[in-house]
Amino acid sequence: MLNFKKIRLMTKLAVYEKKDGKEDIHLSKYYKTDYVRFQTLKSIITATIGYALILALIAFYRLEYLIKNAVVLDYKLIGTYVLGFYLMTITLYGLGSIAGYSMKYDASRKKLSRYFKLLKRLEKVYNESTHES
Amino acid sequence: MMLQLLELRERVKNFYQRYDAYLLPIIKFIFAFIAFQTINKEIGYDERLKALPIVLGISLLSAFTPSAVMVLLAGVISVLHIYFVSPILSVIVIVILMILYFLFARYTPRHGYVLLAIPVLFLLKIPYVIPILLGLISTPIAMVPTSCGVIIYFLFQIIKSAVTMQINISIEDIIQLYTHVIDSFTGNRQMIMTIVIFALIIMVTYFVRKMSFDYAFEISILAGGLTSILGFLISYLVLSRSDQILSMILGTILSVGLVYIIHFFRLTLDYSGAEYAQFEDDVYYYYVKAVPKVTVTVSQVNVKHINVKKSGKREFSDPDTDETEDYDYEEEEYNNKDE
Repeated sequence: MLNFKKIRLMTKLAVYEKKDGKEDIHLSKYYKTDYVRFQTLKSIITATIGYALILALIAFYRLEYLIKNAVVLDYKLIGTYVLGFYLMTITLYGLGSIAGYSMKYDASRKKLSRYFKLLKRLEKVYNESTHES
Repeated sequence: MMLQLLELRERVKNFYQRYDAYLLPIIKFIFAFIAFQTINKEIGYDERLKALPIVLGISLLSAFTPSAVMVLLAGVISVLHIYFVSPILSVIVIVILMILYFLFARYTPRHGYVLLAIPVLFLLKIPYVIPILLGLISTPIAMVPTSCGVIIYFLFQIIKSAVTMQINISIEDIIQLYTHVIDSFTGNRQMIMTIVIFALIIMVTYFVRKMSFDYAFEISILAGGLTSILGFLISYLVLSRSDQILSMILGTILSVGLVYIIHFFRLTLDYSGAEYAQFEDDVYYYYVKAVPKVTVTVSQVNVKHINVKKSGKREFSDPDTDETEDYDYEEEEYNNKDE
């Protein structure tokens, strides 16, 4: 005989696993610090790539000037500027990632705990049905 | 009048529930087709990519894949079109798109479609739909992809004008072309104003929606539209482009109407979307179609009530939101049956 209570629980679990749950379950494999650190590292790397590309655009834009004045350029000043803006970008993205991904992790944990609550209830239903039969 | 509309909504809902497995790809196909055709019309330099079988093929592909694929395909096609006339310009486009992705767009993966929708809707003269809609259904974080979309639109406008410039292969010409693109890109006041106004629209719509008075949703749509009209009015007067004012006002009114229609059906379409689940236990395989219980019978309609419910918690839907209300109710029903 079909156990409707069980089917309903399993459906809910399956639907969750298919949608939000996929990500939540994936996240739950990490410790919070590991997850946040990994994501922050990724953000910093992509921010670095983006920064380098912008730098390349600017350099190409100023190419004529750069070539003309290649000898007399104040490389120290340029280097300081480039590095300074880079550090600012990295800090911004790093801190933003730490805050953002921590929040995301906590939210997913909350959803996951509800999922486990349902799982537990399913287990109970299972036990009951095996007792009956 | 209202009753008829609500009945229509019920009917649409039932239809959607029955056929949503087929409807969703069809709707996506139509959107993809419109998007690709618009791209081809606007920057269709390569005749080969404009061939109908190809457009139909990639639209079909987009219909059955996640929306990110559609955005990616649109990007690839646009770049290929530009590559056909000027490889240099296509490199510039790729670099700028990569910057946008790496620095901004990758943080809002769920809003990827906005990047494609804004340029396309700009060409259809109703880009205002997106910020109003996002203010209504999303959070202010949606400003990020919206701004990226605006930048992409103006980037392609600049590229389009740059393509007409005489292009030779000498280094000087390339640098001149490049300088022209970057100059008109960074000095584009209209782009910056559009970004600011779109961000404002999202904020206004979002905060009005969050307020707790009657018809907050409807009023927030109107507030968004009003912000749009005022903002662009000021920006066009400052930029002395008053020829665009009329089309802007008409576009905004049309957008407000469209958003209202979407809002009217959203409850229906969003939450009656059936879920298909597959699982098994020791005895059976189950192929379950789970249909959420959000029914509004025409006789006991209360529009405000539905909205309140919607704004409450559905946005970050939990695995078991409907558990407390629907679940118990269902259980009772089944228990009775058993007895």
